[in-house]
Amino acid sequence: MSGARNEILAAAGGASTDPAAIAAAAARLLDRVPGLRPDRVSGRPADAFLLRASSPAMGATAERVASLADFPAAVRRYLAAWTLAPALALQPHPALRALDWTGIEIHEAIGLDEPVAAGLALGGIAETGSLVFHSGPDAPTLFGFLPVHHIVAVEADRIWPWLEDYAAAFAPASQPRNVNLITGASGTTDIEGALVRGAHGPGHLHIVLVDPDPAPPHPDFPATTIAKSI
Amino acid sequence: MTTTAFTVRADRALADPQLKLAIERTTGTARTKRAAAVAAWPEFAAARMLGKDIKDHVIAHLGHYLAEFERNALASGAKVHWARNAREACDIVVSICRDAGARSVTRAKSMLGEEIGLPHALADAGIERVETDLAEHIIQLAGDPPSHIVWPALHKTREQVGELFRAHHRDPGAMATVEAMVASARRHLRGRFMAADVGISGANFLIADSGAVCTVTNEGNAELTTTPPRVHIVTAGIEKLVPSTAHAMSLLRLLVRSATGAELTQYTTFHRGPKRAGDPDGPSEFHIVLVDNGRTRMLTDGLADMLRCLRCGACLNHCVVFRQIGGHAYGGTYPGPMGAVLTPVLDGLPLSQDLPRACTLNGQCQEVCPVAIPLPTLLRGWRDRSWREGLEPVSVRGFLGIWRFLVLHPALYRLATAAALPAMRLFGRGGWIGWMPLAGGWTRHRDLPQPSGRSFMAQTRNRKPSA
Ligand code: SF4
Repeated sequence: MSGARNEILAAAGGASTDPAAIAAAAARLLDRVPGLRPDRVSGRPADAFLLRASSPAMGATAERVASLADFPAAVRRYLAAWTLAPALALQPHPALRALDWTGIEIHEAIGLDEPVAAGLALGGIAETGSLVFHSGPDAPTLFGFLPVHHIVAVEADRIWPWLEDYAAAFAPASQPRNVNLITGASGTTDIEGALVRGAHGPGHLHIVLVDPDPAPPHPDFPATTIAKSI
Repeated sequence: MTTTAFTVRADRALADPQLKLAIERTTGTARTKRAAAVAAWPEFAAARMLGKDIKDHVIAHLGHYLAEFERNALASGAKVHWARNAREACDIVVSICRDAGARSVTRAKSMLGEEIGLPHALADAGIERVETDLAEHIIQLAGDPPSHIVWPALHKTREQVGELFRAHHRDPGAMATVEAMVASARRHLRGRFMAADVGISGANFLIADSGAVCTVTNEGNAELTTTPPRVHIVTAGIEKLVPSTAHAMSLLRLLVRSATGAELTQYTTFHRGPKRAGDPDGPSEFHIVLVDNGRTRMLTDGLADMLRCLRCGACLNHCVVFRQIGGHAYGGTYPGPMGAVLTPVLDGLPLSQDLPRACTLNGQCQEVCPVAIPLPTLLRGWRDRSWREGLEPVSVRGFLGIWRFLVLHPALYRLATAAALPAMRLFGRGGWIGWMPLAGGWTRHRDLPQPSGRSFMAQTRNRKPSA
């Protein structure tokens, strides 16, 4: 199909300009961004993230713990609050495997209708309350989409303030096969515009922010509250 | 008024009260949510201009960005294909499916797929197609084309969806609530995701500097469509390019708020190449089909502005005509104001010259468009062209010819209006005209106000110029 390729490229035009000039013009466009964003990231990015991630519109719940070692306890509380069986698919991440999961049956293969999966996000975005996942050996893509309940730990020092800050953190060539920005639980408005959670992806998303140094503590998020609101 | 395929479809739509109810339920919610999202963003107007400038920059250097995207996509292990038109695009997709020995493909909603007629091409090739987006699943069961670019099943009420699912799902359950319908669709499609040989999706953005393909979705079906099968095929219009991920972020803020009123969709995914060493999941083959299908022609035909379109659907939700007749009456892949501009490009003006006239030019669409596309101006451009090419029906040309003659002869014009006004009053009842000769196109669905006693010119004739 090289005929099609060459024909389209010729008809598209604009290839004769100096690439450096085009790149400079593209960069100038981004100079305008900081003054134009909806102002919602003030204070610590981790606090702004937690506030957004647990806002009612998001369809997710969130809590704060002091250390990753507290994650299994947070998961146990979540399972108890939802009266779920103590079993889950654990994202095959070394940091998660190293934790003490006593009392919970752990497996690494994820089922088609896996009731619960627990995972570790690469980071989060304060502006939108999004979790960031990069696919790889320790982060299969399907873990974010198959379970009914997805419980995710994310570290406070991995929260980027704005979408652009996340984008700037990874050079194009270093980007993974799949980036998933996950913003709340799966939902659909396809029948009469009515919002229903749990379309094909998880109906429930619980975020556990690992924040050893919450300064100052946010009044809405005392250390170990679990909000079962959905 | 001349009867055309469009007027027949519009008449049918106007006579369907269920349809109006369904349209109003979804577009009403969409308008309210969008308004709230825009009100919460004081810099929206300036951000919209940045969005416009980003797209204009790409369109001005389209060849450069296409070549850069191709280079980086190839480097990531993707296979890149080029299609000049719909037929070439379908042929490419079908041949990839055949090479993969595919019997069943899953598909995540893509308007470009509809534009190129991919559902038909797959059916002709004997390949089973499973639509996984809830709305696309509904219209696949109903055998309908999409009626909106964001909510393809907008024309169906919940009662109609319940009936469809009861008839087609193996384990439909009670179907008493929308929640039960969504759950039934989830059960029905669950196994299909894993059984497919090929997954097909569209693209919201093509990122030039990384070769990634960005999709924005809410249900989670897209990733379940693109991850398990051995082969993933993306079909994308060449206007979807952006220079970098950072540029995509500025457009994402505008796109999602304008479409659903949310800040970001639940799933914003960047696909970059096939499965890598050590990846536990993901497709072994990743194909991108870059489709022109009239887009480069739009560059030289005065329609470059339209290439900015993000397919957010806001112009549909705010259009007084779309809200009355819905999407099917337009007869093309894309309905509403953006459809009335695009359909003549895709189907030719002779087949679609009614669409640019099915517009009040009230400017709402341009006002809500997140990339400031001058839709009314583009629609007027098509009307001019339709006139120049002699495509207007004889009755319209005749009427305008008479009108032109009269306005060039003011005395006759005054005589004609002086005679018309009393005649019109003869048909009036209580201030409104319910039927009148030559005005059936108007009065079939609404009344015409009865004219006041004297014409505007008669009223001003004796008035003294104010000092
Ligand atoms: S023309 Fe503008 S408002 Fe309409 S779909 Fe495209 S981007 Fe949205």
